[in-house]
Amino acid sequence: MNNQNIQPINEQTGKHYRMHLMLCAGTGCVSNKSFKIKEVLEKELKKQNLQDEVLVVMTGCNGFCALGPVMVVKPDGFFYQQLQEDDIPHLVEEHFLKGRPVKKLMYTPPEEKEPIPKMMEIGFFARQRLIALKNRGLIDPENIDEYIARDGYKALAKVLTKMAPLEVIEEVKKSGLRGRGGAGFPTGLKWELCRKAKPKSKKQNTKYIICNADEGDPGAFMDRSIIESDPHGVLEGMIIGAYAIGANNGYIYIRAEYPLAMERLELAIKQAEDYGLLGENIFDTGFNFDIKIQKGAGAFVCGEETSLMASIEGRPPEPRQRPPFPAQSGLWGMPTNINNVETWATVPSIINRGAEWFASIGTEKSKGTKVFSLVGKINNTGLVEVPMGTTLREIIYDIGGGIPDGKEFKAVQTGGPSGGCIPKEMLDLPIDYERLAEVGSIMGSGGMIVLDEDSCMVDIAKYFLQFTNDESCGKCNSCREGSEALLEILDKISNGKGEEGDIEFLEELGQAIKDASLCGLGQTLPNPVLSTLRHFRDEYEQHIKHKKCPAGVCKALVQYFVDEEKCTGCMLCAKNCPQDAITGKRKEPHTIDQDKCIKCNMCYEVCKFNAIQRK
Amino acid sequence: MRNAGYSMEKIKKQRENIMNHESDIMNQKKVGAAMVVGGGIGGMQAALDLAESGIKVYLVETKPCIGGVMSQLDKTFPTNDCAMCTMAPRLVEIGRHKDIEIITLADVEDIEGQPGNFTVTLKKRPRYVDEEKCTGCALCVNNCPVRNIIYTEPEKEELKLSDEDLQRVRVIINNYKNKKGTLVPVLQDISSQYRYLPAEVLRYVADELGYPLSQVYRLATFYNAFSLEPRGKYLISICLGTACHVKGGPSIVEALGRELGIKPGETTEDMNFTLETVRCIGCCGLSPVMKINEDLYGKVTQKKVPGIINEYRTKT
Repeated sequence: MNNQNIQPINEQTGKHYRMHLMLCAGTGCVSNKSFKIKEVLEKELKKQNLQDEVLVVMTGCNGFCALGPVMVVKPDGFFYQQLQEDDIPHLVEEHFLKGRPVKKLMYTPPEEKEPIPKMMEIGFFARQRLIALKNRGLIDPENIDEYIARDGYKALAKVLTKMAPLEVIEEVKKSGLRGRGGAGFPTGLKWELCRKAKPKSKKQNTKYIICNADEGDPGAFMDRSIIESDPHGVLEGMIIGAYAIGANNGYIYIRAEYPLAMERLELAIKQAEDYGLLGENIFDTGFNFDIKIQKGAGAFVCGEETSLMASIEGRPPEPRQRPPFPAQSGLWGMPTNINNVETWATVPSIINRGAEWFASIGTEKSKGTKVFSLVGKINNTGLVEVPMGTTLREIIYDIGGGIPDGKEFKAVQTGGPSGGCIPKEMLDLPIDYERLAEVGSIMGSGGMIVLDEDSCMVDIAKYFLQFTNDESCGKCNSCREGSEALLEILDKISNGKGEEGDIEFLEELGQAIKDASLCGLGQTLPNPVLSTLRHFRDEYEQHIKHKKCPAGVCKALVQYFVDEEKCTGCMLCAKNCPQDAITGKRKEPHTIDQDKCIKCNMCYEVCKFNAIQRK
Repeated sequence: MRNAGYSMEKIKKQRENIMNHESDIMNQKKVGAAMVVGGGIGGMQAALDLAESGIKVYLVETKPCIGGVMSQLDKTFPTNDCAMCTMAPRLVEIGRHKDIEIITLADVEDIEGQPGNFTVTLKKRPRYVDEEKCTGCALCVNNCPVRNIIYTEPEKEELKLSDEDLQRVRVIINNYKNKKGTLVPVLQDISSQYRYLPAEVLRYVADELGYPLSQVYRLATFYNAFSLEPRGKYLISICLGTACHVKGGPSIVEALGRELGIKPGETTEDMNFTLETVRCIGCCGLSPVMKINEDLYGKVTQKKVPGIINEYRTKT
């Protein structure tokens, strides 16, 4: 993607601007007050009389969320990060008026001294390959004209005017695109099944298209980001899919936790309707399609397709037995096709650039790129899109910039509550659907949570079990009671009451739950336990046999101590301790009263000299 | 919420007991008759299997007839098989089997002896019908005046909604009248107006939209976004997504609990703050994250908590 290629023309006013300031307005940056920054920027620009030369554009999520608010200066590609209101007057005067980029606000990689001025020279951006996120940070997501200027809706025009529905399906099949929601079912095949499905009756012959934006996996936010930065891309993909399948109604099921994404989708739908890209008789071809937004209400199981449809219908959102598959009998009994946000957003590029191009990226069985949310104990948290087959090492070290504070990498958790943990021995594993399954994890929606030496694997397994236990709809016995039983044992282990035989029992029970559950939630809920057992069995044994938590996380097994050599007697921990459990004089090593200590971790967090130890 | 009422310890013990007993049983003399207590689908199948292997079976049931709960079901999980189609052949077979004796309306009083050789005392409750003479023509059933009471609609409870509430709810409902799948959006709109779902309003909604109250209640309790308890002026949601979990989300929950004196799911007495946890709000780049109403706070530490809360305290 050539980022320098942007025309410095404002679409709305037709005015020519010397410079465009692409200020991120994704959720992360908004919470770091990027709208306030915009206000101050515009005020300062006016003060310097630059308002006709420099334009501030609010873009979707830039991806480098850790550094928010971030701003990219076009056309040169300067990258400014962690902007504060007070920095703005200086920045405007120095860079935008006098042409001297401000080094102080540029990004400096950890452990380096010289800042990197330009965005595409930063490892985080340089090594990514953008398809689903092709428009991120380049357009104003609330303006359809900017999307169109970047070849938007060109694929739709091509499909509607030059291609037959079956040709579209053939093209998608040839591209090798697989569902990005996690299971990796071939998208073209799914469309074909729905296309061929017989309507319910002669009178009821509609079909439905659903976009699954109920991104429930904790630690994954790519769907949110795609919608916030490029909502029209998703809509275009859906319209193309609808044409290929022969559907006239569409739904987007989106989480209630994503208000900004929802707002932008609503706006995008309205704009598309005004332009005649949605509604009746699109491009005068006689094809009709409309899209409705359905808001979720906070239930993880709604990401499962059958329960998602039940939720839209207003029934209790419990999964049901398949077959019949949604392609035969879905929403209100009609043939229905459900795809994930990222899948839809990838479709226009495949049509525009051809199936061969897409199929040339990636591995043998997994084609194209995948968006991952790289979070947890990593320097460059944010959203990354890389070709399938990229190794974990490249993602974590070259793009992610490694582990903060010089800690040691321990594992990476992928696939959310259905996935597993991959240990450091497998850092050179190329990521695709099959390889991840081989090591006991799954692709999932693409959450990648990096864990360092301070993360306890029993605690991680317990965390996911708590999650699935909470979110189990309760229909299947094996999932409802099984998660409860697994959790009980894990609880016991982390409280130092583990016994011989617990590990074997976990494995036996986990397998039983896998075999006996109806939907994906139950079938995969033992994965976090089984995969941590597989790769970190010794850590479980430490908990059970020696009653020790090596990472210092499980509270019942840990005590807090002051390292007398490191303690400078600054009193910071004593001042912050909520229990007044720390005593000591100024400039003398402190002591912690173990009877009073509630192990809240406060002293560990506030100590600037690493003098608090967890044993 | 879904406590099973069992413990792993209990199960393990039972397992051991059975193992120990098994060897004793093998050495003892067995008597050629078995008793199955409970005439549900499980008991029926057990009785049939035993009888097929040549053992005399007494099938005991407390109700007037065998069949149990399954006879009341339409379909069974997870195969969606028709329940009656599974049961009917077995019912017929049991009725005809010469080695199965059905004893209904009976309770087990006492069991004596060892596994393999025991005596059971049953207490049969009266049937008030001469079993010898009854042909099962059902004439008495159809004419029983107690059974055939005319069904009358229960009197509707009077709604206790104020005019203002009624106005508000009507506006919401009218937006969705005559559309499909409207219950969840209606509940969402009510929740965003009232910040919780008041019981009276739910009752009214069920009536107006024609849903059973049970279904409304089920949805209202299924989704995490709904609360049946009033929420405080400021709703604090702490993200406990994976990224926030590993970066100290749980300790933020505790710190907030200490600051406000409440646990997650509770509201302070002055109705100012409600503490809730939420599974990932998709701001993992800023973890740990918390949200107070619509304001997002990233990279929260325990130390920052009192300051943030005080900001809101001074606002109230």
